[in-house]
Amino acid sequence: MQRISLLAVLGAAFSAVACAGTLYLPAYPNSVLVFDEGKGQIVDRIPLTTGTPMGIRLSGDHKTIYVTTIDHNGIEVIDVATRKVTNHFELNTPTKQFRMFTGAADPQGKLFYTVTKEITKFPDHFEVGEPKYTLIDLAQQKIVKTVDIPKEEMPNNEGDFGAGQMDVSPDGKYLYQFGEKITILDSSDFKVVDHIDLSRPDAPGMENVHFGGDLDLINEPGEHTALFVSSDPIVHNRVFGLARFDLDTRRMDFSPIGPAPPGMAGIEVTPDKKWAYTVVASGMHGTKRCEFWRFDLTTDRITNRAEVPCRTRFTLGISTNGQKLYIYGAGFDIEVYDAATLKYEKTWDLNNDVTYAGIVVLP
Amino acid sequence: MRHMRPLNQKAARIDGYVESRTEDVAALQNPPGGNQAQRPHVPMGCALMFTPGWEVDAAGGTAGLCQPVERDIYDCFVSCYWPAQVPDHLNNAPDWNSKCAVATKDWQKLDLVFP
Repeated sequence: MQRISLLAVLGAAFSAVACAGTLYLPAYPNSVLVFDEGKGQIVDRIPLTTGTPMGIRLSGDHKTIYVTTIDHNGIEVIDVATRKVTNHFELNTPTKQFRMFTGAADPQGKLFYTVTKEITKFPDHFEVGEPKYTLIDLAQQKIVKTVDIPKEEMPNNEGDFGAGQMDVSPDGKYLYQFGEKITILDSSDFKVVDHIDLSRPDAPGMENVHFGGDLDLINEPGEHTALFVSSDPIVHNRVFGLARFDLDTRRMDFSPIGPAPPGMAGIEVTPDKKWAYTVVASGMHGTKRCEFWRFDLTTDRITNRAEVPCRTRFTLGISTNGQKLYIYGAGFDIEVYDAATLKYEKTWDLNNDVTYAGIVVLP
Repeated sequence: MRHMRPLNQKAARIDGYVESRTEDVAALQNPPGGNQAQRPHVPMGCALMFTPGWEVDAAGGTAGLCQPVERDIYDCFVSCYWPAQVPDHLNNAPDWNSKCAVATKDWQKLDLVFP
């Protein structure tokens, strides 16, 4: 049922984009690289004043990029059209650090919602506070509100890798946090309004749904599209697929693809939403083996598989036209593979180490 | 000092079971107990955790490390992930890599850090 509705969107919403796009890559020690896919080279470098970029988010209208930096816990706002930093500031004071986890700006670009931990420096020790919902006014360049996180929301906010990803509804009234469940918060006071329990989603034959990273490239305004993994309540067979969450209506559509392999490096979908790709890893250390899997989303079948050299840590990406696959991180290069044949083509040497903040891909 | 010792077979079995649940110091992600497969006990002080590992990986080898190791050095530095093996980015050596964009190629440009 849900699959039909998503496939309808998959088929109708996008056509293939022929022109090459631009990659925005957060890089060491303190810049965002602007990489032209067509030329295969860095065409610009956006210097950051506040330090090393550790987070990058594209605004819903694709006009602004928000970068969080770690050195002094800063925020930098980049205008995509001019590739200039239009606003930057640091949250730290000489005795306080505010470590940021996750983050999303409101649709007007005035407020930034995040989760912070306050770390206070004393003469002989540091004290680390509990994570708190935090509202930052981008114009005032400071934290204007912090709210204690209820105990039952802590699992979404104090994991080993920070907090669940946030998104703001198109009208700015609600804040969504994706984790073990979807928490809906009132954006004015961070009060929990509702939950969508992913362990028992409103979908037949599914339980224990987990959301993966947001798929910016195929997101339409006002939606959050991501990889999901779930299991059925009887045999507990794990299945993966694409989930689309409407930030306006809170309707969720699941499009299962197939049994979930043990190790999956995310999923990437072509702009026409007909093909999906993942890298599946099995074994570990010296016996680790990786394969590209290519899926036809119109039939939910695997059409190609091909072995690919495993890096210890890597991220899978896709070009703006969906014709190339990228493997990057940790390090200074991007390996390019042909998406149709899954064959290696070339390596782009960025001559600059990139951080693990992720990348923004824009047509 | 142990004040009790098993006197019959059942007590000996219980004692043996309790003994079997006690391990030497192990990596932090491999807590004692349970039915986990035995892993190499890499000496503490060398590394506290092995994801993927610094000198060695969780299997006691080097196949699980980023190769060359300089590919991974900044991600280990940036959040004080390996505060003993790599300079402390947040407090004591924030400018360690300010003149070196590619650790694998230009590691000579990394700043010297003295404890």
